[in-house]
Amino acid sequence: MFPGPTQCGKPMDKEERMKKLAVFAAAMLIGLVLAASCYAASPVKITYIYWGSPAEDVAIQKALKDFEAAHPGITAEPMYLAVTGTGTEYNAKMKAMAASDTLPDLGYFRPEEFDNYAKNGFFLDLTQLANRDGMIKDYLPTTWLSNGGKIYGAYTAAECQVLYYNKNVLADAGVPAPPADYTKGWTWSQFVTYLKKITVDRNGKHPGDQGFDVKKVLQWGIRYELWTFMLYPTVWGNGGAFFSKDGTQVLLDKPETIEAIQRLSDLMNKDQVMPPTSSTTSMAAAQTQLQTGQIGFYVSGQWELLDFGKKGFPYGVGALPIHKTPAQIYLSGANVIFSSTKHPEEAWQLQKWMMTPDATLGLYSEGLWMPTKASWYTSPTDLAKWISNAVHPESFKGAVVDSMKVAQLEPRLVNNAEIITTYVTPALDAVWTGKVSAKEALTKAAAQIRASGLLQGAYN
Amino acid sequence: MERSQRFWGWIFIMPLTLGLTVWVAFPLGISLVASTWRWDMISRPRFVGLGNFIRMFTADPLFLQAVVVTMKYTLLNVPLQLVIAFCLALLLSSRVKGIGVYRTLFYVPSLIPVVVSAAMWLWLFDQSFGLFNVILEQVGLPPQQWIFSSEQVIPSLVFMSLWTVGNVVVIFLAGLQGIPRQLREAVSIDGGNAWHEFRHVIIPFMSPVIFYNLVIGLINSLQTFTQPYIMTHGGPSNASLTYLLEIYQQGFQFNKMGYACAMAWLFIIVTILMSAVLFKSSGRWVYYEGEKK
Amino acid sequence: MRSPRLTAFQALVTAVLVLLSAMFLLPFLWQLRSSVMTVSEIFISPPPMFPRVPQWKNYLDVFSIMPFGTYYFNSLFIVLVNIVGALFANTVIAYGLARLRFRGRKLMFSLSIATLMMPTSITLIPTFIEWHFFHGINTFLPLTVPAFFGNALFIFMLVQFFKSVPPDFDEAAFIDGATYPQILAQIIVPITRPALAVVAIFTFLGSWNDYLGPLLYLNERRLYTLALGLQSMLSQYTSDWHLLMAAATLVTAPLIVLFFLAQKSFVEGLTMGGIKA
Repeated sequence: MFPGPTQCGKPMDKEERMKKLAVFAAAMLIGLVLAASCYAASPVKITYIYWGSPAEDVAIQKALKDFEAAHPGITAEPMYLAVTGTGTEYNAKMKAMAASDTLPDLGYFRPEEFDNYAKNGFFLDLTQLANRDGMIKDYLPTTWLSNGGKIYGAYTAAECQVLYYNKNVLADAGVPAPPADYTKGWTWSQFVTYLKKITVDRNGKHPGDQGFDVKKVLQWGIRYELWTFMLYPTVWGNGGAFFSKDGTQVLLDKPETIEAIQRLSDLMNKDQVMPPTSSTTSMAAAQTQLQTGQIGFYVSGQWELLDFGKKGFPYGVGALPIHKTPAQIYLSGANVIFSSTKHPEEAWQLQKWMMTPDATLGLYSEGLWMPTKASWYTSPTDLAKWISNAVHPESFKGAVVDSMKVAQLEPRLVNNAEIITTYVTPALDAVWTGKVSAKEALTKAAAQIRASGLLQGAYN
Repeated sequence: MERSQRFWGWIFIMPLTLGLTVWVAFPLGISLVASTWRWDMISRPRFVGLGNFIRMFTADPLFLQAVVVTMKYTLLNVPLQLVIAFCLALLLSSRVKGIGVYRTLFYVPSLIPVVVSAAMWLWLFDQSFGLFNVILEQVGLPPQQWIFSSEQVIPSLVFMSLWTVGNVVVIFLAGLQGIPRQLREAVSIDGGNAWHEFRHVIIPFMSPVIFYNLVIGLINSLQTFTQPYIMTHGGPSNASLTYLLEIYQQGFQFNKMGYACAMAWLFIIVTILMSAVLFKSSGRWVYYEGEKK
Repeated sequence: MRSPRLTAFQALVTAVLVLLSAMFLLPFLWQLRSSVMTVSEIFISPPPMFPRVPQWKNYLDVFSIMPFGTYYFNSLFIVLVNIVGALFANTVIAYGLARLRFRGRKLMFSLSIATLMMPTSITLIPTFIEWHFFHGINTFLPLTVPAFFGNALFIFMLVQFFKSVPPDFDEAAFIDGATYPQILAQIIVPITRPALAVVAIFTFLGSWNDYLGPLLYLNERRLYTLALGLQSMLSQYTSDWHLLMAAATLVTAPLIVLFFLAQKSFVEGLTMGGIKA
């Protein structure tokens, strides 16, 4: 290795010098060729950000791999975020990436933050791309997320509210299964009557019976998820609303809204068919309570099917009770392409891929998502792909799929988070405890919101 | 000796000086400037001078709420924590068989990741099916609402935090181990009993440790964030909205980072003042064996 | 060492300890027994103590739904580096502040304490930008390097402990010609081992369970830590409680073992001020 004493300092003769030069030149040439070929064949790499349960994680990874197989030359790198769907750590991470210009190419995005980022130019304008590839007509109109008239994102899936029930509990209590047609849901009073039949305490007494002890209930009629999105079908179905669609008016104190909220509160405090709950405190184990028969009905999102399908207990779905008209909510996470991407065309290809229900069929057939592609709601062949299985009960089509015809989006208010967290949720929490009437709490909240100056319209 | 102490002193604390400059001065500096901005972190900030501070005291209902909630929590948590931890440490320093096992058992709760213990406690607190109410029922007491009631949520969270008191116990234990045994024996030789030993040997010797746990306990309680964040999101009706939770909410949920920075700086100043008072008072009741007077 | 005799006092103490530890252990026992149950068994009320059939496969399932082994390795690595950094930096800094007299000492100590009062939410983004500048994003650097600069909590604690050591030893050694580093290493450190053990344990704990740091700085799954793995199981859409409990037990088990081993050093550490008679 080391030059010996004899070699050190000896001048090289001409032949040696030529040899060395030749080797050097050859090495350079090979190096250049390699570099060139690497560059030429180097795959385009795009990063896809997402989150979700381990099951969702597996499905997305598979979808990305399938995409790579179908598109040689593109590498789709998964960036899995270990966040819960509701946490604010997600915001911290997003902002950190945005502030340091290290955003991924595309992927999931929380709809609450969508407008702020959109109007600040963080997303790629998809309007032309979507039109160019003829996507607009193939998808539900509610799928596309626009800001200022331009399309900046698409909802990942269509998600909505579902009424679940435990078949055994209903059978034992002598309660019929709810209708399978969303237009024929029970009236509210009929619903409450059934709930009272199911609710029973340790001594076999029902609410309203002499000696019924609400502290010794063995089996409850129902559990409603009470976070804001879950309230909308009830509120809208009664003819009420929280805010006007254009975000300029507070409708919390509209009599129809008050009545709807009061009805839900009464389930806990007057009818005594629902265990006490709050809007903000997380609920542990409502799903398991349905499974073990501690509750008869459960109102939550359709994503619970992913879980129920695996548990294998006899569950059913039925039409939500109707207050005045059938109503349904449309909610979902959003998919965007970040404007900082270096490969917009490839990112768009991946976006289209992920919007094709066939690409991530498992997530649909296992119950986590509902498709955004319109034909999957009407064409029998496409429908069969995702609902003809044990996870989706027979009544799913009539009670849930069809109800998407009346599904509405929540208005995207400016200052939405602040208004809801500061005024709406605390008011609702007070109502749920039964200490304050809905009329009192909502009227006060509405006045506070009007006075706060936070109401500044909505995005579109 | 003087020269050499100065030289070595600065050498020894070099990691601290560097760390303060890079990891503290810079971010804090930015946040101080940001407290005069209206800034959502992704668009250009707008200078509003003292506007954020004014808004805090006049136009933000949640600010006062956060202050009250945090004070309530701290006043309940700190004394309870100190007393319970000290008693436990005394217990755990006795020479009983298997004391090592007991010490570990008491510390176990502090080891459980918050994410998991939150899920557990949510179930424990559940009004219909939770273990606590089941137990209460067995002994004939009425079931409680725990974290689902705006009156009971703070005591419930304090109760939950006392469960992880192991952290404080450990430090008291380390301190107790250091008390020279001769001194403790000297008391009994002199005819004193356990109370004398406690009052004249243990307390003075433990005073630096007590002081430490008091200051740290105060600062930590004032900064409570994780539990209300995970378990109650500040509810019900903002009854568990601690100050740090409100800062986080303003900054990352309402996109008012400038305002959050303003709130944070107010917090820093108040806490520094509180600690300064504590430190000044410590001259009178804290005893350092190794201090040259 | 005298062997403990069983006096009435000790019996009473034992009884109290057993009762209290049962209360403290309860939630953890709930976690343990749930980790070997099926999901439906977990929430039966009143809760059974033992599963009908222990579901040991829950533990295996955890490894199959995520690369738990990788997470373990990453967490271990990060934690060990943190402990080395924390022990070194905090000891050195605390010694300087506690034992040496120099102008500016009080100021530096106060500044250090002041950092404890910094709510971290507001420094998240600026610090992130700094690390981006240092090319530390998606590496372990942001999760390990800060430990080498000291932690006010530990500095404060060690200063308190160092101050409790009588200066006689120092002076004796100094007269013998020892330098400050030698005094620190050979006299102070052995005497205050219990406190150092506490620093090591707390560093382990803080780093092992840290969630926000890894979330912010790590983007690739191969770098993720146990805290992220646990969190990913708690999404809105799953209630695989049995797996979560199994994973949680896997995460807490090493901490318990470590603590049990370490707490002995509190007892076996040389007592302070023990001028051998």
